[in-house]
Formats: sequence, C-alpha cells, structure tokens
Amino acid sequence: MAFLTKGSVAALIAAAAGALCLLLESSLPWLVKFPAAWVLPATDWAGAAMEWLLALIKPTARGFSALMFYPMEAANYVLSNTPWPLVICATAALAWILGGVRMALMALVGLGFVLASGYWPESMNTLALVAVSVPLALIIGGGIGILANEYPRVRKPVQALLDIMQTVPTFAYLTPLLVLFGFGPVVGLIASAIYAAPPMARNVLLGLERVEPEIKEAAIMAGGTRLQQLFQCEIPSAGQQIMVGVNQCLMAALSMVIIAAVIGGFDDIGWEVLLTMRKAQFGQSLLAGLVIVIFAILIDRMSGTLTQDRREKHDPRIAWGILAVGAAASAVFWGHIQQPGAYALFNPVADSVDRGLSAFTTANADVLTAFKNNVLFYVLLPLRIGLDQAVLPFTWGFSWTPMMSLGLFATGAAAGAVFALRGQLALGVMLLIAAGMLETGISQLPWPFVLIGAGALAWVAGGRGLAIMTVALLATILVSGLWERALLSLYLSGAAVFACTVMGGAIGLVSAVSPAVWRVVHPICDMLQTIPLFVFLIPVLMVFQIGEFSAFLAIIAYAIVPMIRYTRHGLVSTPEEMIEAATASGATKWQMLKDIRAPYAAPSILLGLNQTILYAFAMLVIAALIGTTGLGQSIYLALGQADVGLGISAGAAMAILALIADRMVQGFAEERRKALGL
Amino acid sequence: MRANGARLSTPPLSEPRPVSGSETPAITCQNVWQVFGNDADSALKEVLANHPSPDDAAGELRSKGLIPAVQNASFQVQEGELFVIMGLSGSGKSTLIRCISHLLHATGGEIRIDGENIVEASAKRLIELRRKKLGMVFQHFGLFPHMTVAENVAYPLRVQGVKKKQRQAKAEEVINLVGLRGRENHYPRELSGGQRQRVGIARSLVADCSVWFLDEPFSALDPLIRRQLQDEFLEIQAKLKTTIVFITHDINEALKLADRIAIMRDGRIVQIGTPADIVLRPVDDYVREFSKDVAKGRHARVASVMETGAGLAYGADDPGLRQDMTLDAALARCMELYEPVPVRSPEGNVVGVVNPADLAAALQVEQG
Ligand SMILES: Nc1ncnc2c1ncn2[C@@H]1O[C@H](COP(=O)(O)OP(=O)(O)OP(=O)(O)O)[C@@H](O)[C@H]1O
Ligand SMILES: [Mg+2]
Repeated sequence: MAFLTKGSVAALIAAAAGALCLLLESSLPWLVKFPAAWVLPATDWAGAAMEWLLALIKPTARGFSALMFYPMEAANYVLSNTPWPLVICATAALAWILGGVRMALMALVGLGFVLASGYWPESMNTLALVAVSVPLALIIGGGIGILANEYPRVRKPVQALLDIMQTVPTFAYLTPLLVLFGFGPVVGLIASAIYAAPPMARNVLLGLERVEPEIKEAAIMAGGTRLQQLFQCEIPSAGQQIMVGVNQCLMAALSMVIIAAVIGGFDDIGWEVLLTMRKAQFGQSLLAGLVIVIFAILIDRMSGTLTQDRREKHDPRIAWGILAVGAAASAVFWGHIQQPGAYALFNPVADSVDRGLSAFTTANADVLTAFKNNVLFYVLLPLRIGLDQAVLPFTWGFSWTPMMSLGLFATGAAAGAVFALRGQLALGVMLLIAAGMLETGISQLPWPFVLIGAGALAWVAGGRGLAIMTVALLATILVSGLWERALLSLYLSGAAVFACTVMGGAIGLVSAVSPAVWRVVHPICDMLQTIPLFVFLIPVLMVFQIGEFSAFLAIIAYAIVPMIRYTRHGLVSTPEEMIEAATASGATKWQMLKDIRAPYAAPSILLGLNQTILYAFAMLVIAALIGTTGLGQSIYLALGQADVGLGISAGAAMAILALIADRMVQGFAEERRKALGL
Repeated sequence: MRANGARLSTPPLSEPRPVSGSETPAITCQNVWQVFGNDADSALKEVLANHPSPDDAAGELRSKGLIPAVQNASFQVQEGELFVIMGLSGSGKSTLIRCISHLLHATGGEIRIDGENIVEASAKRLIELRRKKLGMVFQHFGLFPHMTVAENVAYPLRVQGVKKKQRQAKAEEVINLVGLRGRENHYPRELSGGQRQRVGIARSLVADCSVWFLDEPFSALDPLIRRQLQDEFLEIQAKLKTTIVFITHDINEALKLADRIAIMRDGRIVQIGTPADIVLRPVDDYVREFSKDVAKGRHARVASVMETGAGLAYGADDPGLRQDMTLDAALARCMELYEPVPVRSPEGNVVGVVNPADLAAALQVEQG
C-alpha cells in the first residue's frame, strides 16, 4: 500500500466501513440505530453532578446576584430617568470626541430614530445591562489576559480554555446560570459578562505578547518595578490591540444581552422582538430589530475609532457645547417633553409593513411556497433522510426503487473510477462515499461509519492525535444518547455550510475580480457582521414562517460573511511578483486565477470555511427559536425547563462538533500553508 | 576630543590598561556562560563537570540540542574604558551584553559590576542598580510609542518617583545635550531614525549612569548620520567619562571608538585587544577577515610596532616620530630611511626605536 497517499488510504478505509455497514444493515439493525441499552445516562449524570456543584456555589452566586442588583438598578435608574435630550446629546458629544462630525451626526440620527420608534425605555433597559456587564467583562478578561502573560505556564491552558469557550453555544451558558442565579436580568448580565470576557482576554494577551522586546527591555533597564513596567509601558504600548478587544467585548456583550431576553423578566428590547415575533407583528418586530441594529452599529463604530492607528483630535469644547445644548433643552422643556416611550411615529409604517407583507405573501404565495418546497423536498429532505425515503410519489412523482439505488451507486462508482484512473484516487473514493451518504441521508448514517469516517478524515488533517481525539469525543456523544440529535444538527449546519461555501465562495470570487462589486458587497458584509444574531430571525420569519427552512436561511445569512471575506482576501493578496511572473509567462486572467491565485488563496479560504462552520453552529442554536430539531432544540428546551443536565450535555455535544470541525479544517489549512511555504 | 590616552599603551597589548584611581574594574566577567534550551542550568553543570575544556563542553551542549550562545567569557572592563564587542551576526554579542545588564540571567559564571556579583543580586537590588548605575541604548531604539520625547527621556526618573518639575528639568538638560531641543513634545513616530536614536541615548543618560551598554546603537542609521552621532557620542563620553560596553558590526566604528575590542565567534571570545592589536596582530583568520578592508596605516600607531627597552641603537637620522603617530604619517616621514629611528614621547624623551622596514611590513600584514 506504500504507493497510496494518506488521503487515499483514509478514503478507502471510510468507504470500506460504509460498504460493510450498508451490507450488514438489514441483519444487524444496531448498526444504524445505536441500541438504547448501550446508552449511558450521561445526561442525568451531568445533571446530578452539576446540580451538586451548583448547589455548592449557589449561596455565593445568589450573594453575588444580590450584589450585582445594585449597580444594575443604579445604571437602569440613571439611564431611564435622565431626560432623553441629555442622553442623546451626551452620546453625540462622546461621538464627536471619538470621530468628529460624521460620528456625531450618526449618533444624533441613530438615537433620534430610536426615540421616534417609541422603544426608548426598552433600549435604555438593554443599555443598562450592557453598561454593567461590559466593565465586568473588561476587568475579568483583562485580568485573565494579564495573568496569562505574566505566568507563561498557564498561557497554554488559558488559550485552550478560551478556544473552547468560543465554541460553546451561547444558550448553553444560560441554563446553569439560570439555576445558579434564579430568573431575572442578573442571568443575562452574568451570561453576557462571561460571553464577552474571552475576546478581551485574547486581545490583551495578544497585544502584550506583541510588544516589541526592546520596549520591554527599555522599561526594565529604566529600573521600573514589574508593575511599573506593565502598567506604564507594556499595556499602553499594546493599546491598539487592547482596544480591538474592547470593541469585540462590547459587541459580544450587546449580542448576549439581547439573546438572554429569552429568559424574560426584563423589559428590554430583545424581549420586545421576541414578543412581537410571537404575536406575528412583523412590522413591529422589524422596527425593534432595527433599533438593536442601530445600537450595534453605533457601539461598534464609536469604539472602533479607538482601534485606529492615528486618530484626529477633535476639539473638546464642541463636545461641551453639545452637552450644554442637551442640558439646556432638558431644563427648558422639562414639563413639555413627552415620555420617551410615547413616541410611536413609525407605528403607521410598521402597520403598513405588516399589511404590505401579508399582501406580498398572499400575492406571491405560489412562488414563495414553491421555492421553499423545492429546497425542502429536493435538497434538505434527501440530505436528511436519504433519497431512499425522501423520494415519494407525493413530492417527486415517483418512488425510489432498489434499481435506482443501484443506478446511483453505479454512477458514483463510475465517476469515482474516472477520477481514480486519472490519479486522484482519494477524490474518486470520496465521490462513491458521497453517493452512499445521499442514499442513506445524514441523520441515518450508521454510527460505526461516522466514527471511522471522521477518524480517517481527522487522521489526514492532523495525524494520529487528532484522529484519536475525534473518535473519542464523538463516542462520548454516542453513548450519552444525544447521537440522533447531533446528526440532525450536523445535517442542518452541514447543509448551511455547504450552501455558504458555494455561494460565499462565488461572491468572494466575483468581489475579488471586480472592485465595483466589492464596493457593494463590502458594506453589506460589515453590516451583517455587526448585527446581533437574534435579528437575523426576523426577516426570514416574516417571509417563510416558522420551520426548518427559515432556520436554514437565517444560518446562511449569518455564516456566509466569513466565507466571502476570506475568499476575496485570499484571492487578492497574491504577492505581486507571482502575478508579474505569471503575466510575463503569458497567462490569461482566468488562468492566473486558476493556477496562481486560487492555490495561493487556499489556506485563507480554509480559514474562512472554519469561521463559517463556527458561525453556523452558533446560529444553529439561536435558530432553534424558530424551529429546528437536534441539539439546538434540546438546549433551548433545557432552558425552558431549567434542566441543567440536558442543557450542559447538549451544549457540550454542540461544542464537541464545533471543536472537531475547527481542528480538522485548521489542520488542512496548516498543511496547505506548509505546502506553500508560508 | 578624546579624554584618555589609551592608545599610548605599550606591548603586550592585550593586558587591561592600568587606569587611574580605583582598584576594582568596573565590569568583571568570569567564565560566563549563557545557554538556551530546556533545563539549561543543570545541563551546563553536568557538562562542565565532565568536560574540562570549554570547547568540548560547548560541543556537548550543542549535541544535546541546546544553544551555548555565550561560552566561558572572561574579561574585565576598567572604569572609564570604552569596550567594544564585535562579531558576526549570531555570534552572541547581544546575549553577552544582556547577561551583563542582567536582562538575561547568566546560566553560569560570575559577573561583577564595581565588585558586586550581579548574577546573585536580588530583584530589588537589580532595580536599584538599574536606577542608579546602569544605562542601555537599543539597536531599534525601544522607545515607548505612547510617550512624547520628553516623557520618554524622563521615564527612568519617573519610575524612581522624582517630582514632575525636577524630572522635566533634568530631561530638558539631556535633550539639549543630544541636540534635540525643540522636539520635546513630539511623539517617536514623528521623528527620523537618527532623532529617535538620540532620544534613546538621552533616555539612557538621564539617570546619570556610570556603566553604559549600547547594542548596535547606530547600525539602523545611514552612514552620514552615523558618523555624526559617533562624533557626538565621543564628545558626550569625554564629558561624562562613563564605562561603556558597545556592540557594533562595523570595524571602522569599532576602531574609531574603542579603547579595547573583543571579537566573538560562535559564542566564544577569540581575541581581546587594542584596535592596533586587532588590526596588526590578529590571532586567526576569522579576526583577520574583519580588518581586511581597513586602512591600517590610519588606525595603528607607531607605539604598536616600536621596540622598547634600554640600550637600543638607532641611526643618526631623526625624522621626529612620536609614539602616537599613525603608521601612515610615520612612514611618510621616513620613506627614504633604512636605519632604525628614535620614537619620542610628547615630552620629547626617546621611548623606543622603530625600523622603517617594520613600519612598511606592518601595513602589509595580510599579504605576508
Ligand atoms: N531567547 C533565545 N532563545 C534561544 N536562542 C537564542 C535566544 N536569544 C539568542 N539566541 C541564539 O543565540 C545566538 C546568539 O544570538 P545574539 O542575539 O546574541 O547574536 P548577535 O551576535 O547579537 O547577532 P546580531 O549581530 O545579529 O545581533 C544565536 O544563535 C541566537 O539564535
Ligand atoms: Mg544583536
């Protein structure tokens, strides 16, 4: 077998395992359905262990919760009782200092919109939560980053922990916190602090590590104590990177505060979205969603200026002036200004959106339903349960026969053989495997095949260690009884990732070739990345109602951005001399793309794929709100029932899937980078 | 311009030059080792116990996958002396200077500054030493990007808790000394390379150090600015009379500045001597290679080739050679002469004798 490449060996092993499972399927039913008797009550164990642990720290937690109550109330009181002209002018003044006229105008218009929408009080409630959770997250994250920098011993474990925290879905945090802290806004606060601390820690550590060694040495030679070195020299020198952390921390906190609205009990803007969504008042929920988007954009752009290299100085006197105007306006019109919640200028608009929407959906019902059903019946369903069950006379007009299976396999085998003969054995075998998966459906793949196949893939991507880790982690999901749900999650996110890869790759490619297209795509990407996860649900829900298809679309909308960005970036960042060399050899534009740019962009595109996968998993859980099956749904259900065991194990299973996908793609990217000598 | 008379020394030239005043050398390095790698400390101890020869020990360390960046370095630097370290890239110069300033903890050996063993000094004592005694200038300047020129320069005083007024006044003084008046409120990114290095120099001077480390301070600068800064550097040194350890790649810079030069190769110090020693009496081809392109006649002095001692005979001609003349100048005076001629001290006493043929031969060293 010495002449076979690693990839071919792995593909052959997986194919053999699949074929064996397929043959024995009828006589050994436990190959497909993991026997219930073998399942360990891991969920219950996790539940019991967590309950025990939580009971242990509960008094402390409750104490902490009581303690956090005060700053939260204070922030809330201040924000909701300050006259709105003052809040708006204070924000505009801050925006002026940070970014000049443009930024100040943006703040004025944005907050003006919020005021006019009538969601002012709810927004202030949300802001109050952010205002308390962000300092908490900054302190925790900054502390962790600094400690990891000071003690190289803990750096590796801390980095690993941060990696894992990034893959744990947001909802999974909530259940244990709910049990710990009881229902109420404090859960949202703590969840958002926990969720927002890792990006801060990561950036602080990165910034400190990147401070030039000579700057550190200069601080030592000046005779500074360690604390002086750290706080007077190293941290200020790492300022820009730390500000990137602050920006990411703010955005994460806002996003989580809004997600935490599902717990309820706090009259904030996220809750408003949920409520209106449930009542099918889409015009209103769109409005509330827009308010969230406005806050996200304002916070992002304003804190983003801090990360810029050289900021222009803006005269603070003007800021004071704006502030004074706000104070004067509040004082003069004290008795006359309306309660900020009373403005509802856009209600007619919202109503007409509702009306227009129903008119639109009724008018285009045929097209929309056809679109939805086509994707569902001809793409998603076959992927999920396989052609053998999805092809029914009712939808496809005929039923699947064994002959057709044979035909499918024969086609796969023939195509595979063609590739194998052209020297691409691995690709050929993979085609055959794909045919088999199409026949069976992802959610009904025999578990031994999944374990072996994933193990083989991991072996190619990252060697023996990764293969062992993959199989072991997947096995824990298997024996803990979450297997079917995990496969369902895998199917939906897999389908979404595939769609993102194809479409995002194409958009990225076009953006790379045409700057004009990129000028349009770029701001859209920026926008999509600023919007909190939650808001993606609104438009898809409006048009396609609750269901798997809407979830599928929401996941694509959120996860496609990294694919576009990284593809374009990889394609345009080919070194100039390589392009010149290719031009000098007489390559056409298309040849250049195919032979030079694409191979060079491969590592970057793989990283984009990696991000897309992580994004898709993150959104999968959120999308459970509008109807998905699988792990996401379990996490969501666990939240509703305060079932810690289920919440933790489903969250862990989700994190495991994300982690494995992450490591494998990273492995492939690393290999490509090495091959290119980067 | 030069305050000391280092070049008046007589052979054998590699001995430390006797210096006025204090008995203890400013810096003493005794069998200093710096080994990089895992468990370097214990590995070095074990290897040294089994291998008496440092070269064997270094070889053994390498075969274990460790990097002996400095091997068995021993030398002394006298108070007020300007000691230059030269060597190819990666030969361990920076590592050695970082050991002496204790930015790295030496793996083995003893380093004394004014008699005090700093390898064993406590963290607190080290901070004190750095505040009062040691100054350092970095190759890439190491300026704090978030501080203005004045704040950068005053920083060593700030960590000591000096009041703002006072430290500003002192910073102003050194900023003037390095010729940066009027730039106090600029940020480092607004300065040229030469100006940045002046800031680095000013900062290392502000706390009145008595031992000054400079790691390739001028190599990032273009030749014109470099020459200008070298001259200013010598002026400052003449004023302040600090002890200096100076790293450079540039033989001409070394010859221009040094009292003595140490040449390093792969972690070993292969030769220590005066500029004339290095140029005229290189111990091996590696050292010879360094000074190959140097115009020797302009750097070596008559003192380095004359014979001394009682009762040396010389001829009737006296072309008026002085011991501190360069070889070029001396040769120009006795082109026509074949007899040994007398060499006089600045006071006019005959201190030695030189044969014009030796003068010519000295300039041809590498051909011979
Ligand atoms: N922290 C370190 N860890 C491992 N090896 C090191 C470390 N620092 C230096 N070295 C190694 O020690 C050797 C000497 O390095 P050093 O920086 O002292 O060289 P140098 O003479 O200053 O060179 P240059 O002229 O390029 O500055 C090199 O081989 C280098 O790779
Ligand atoms: Mg160096």
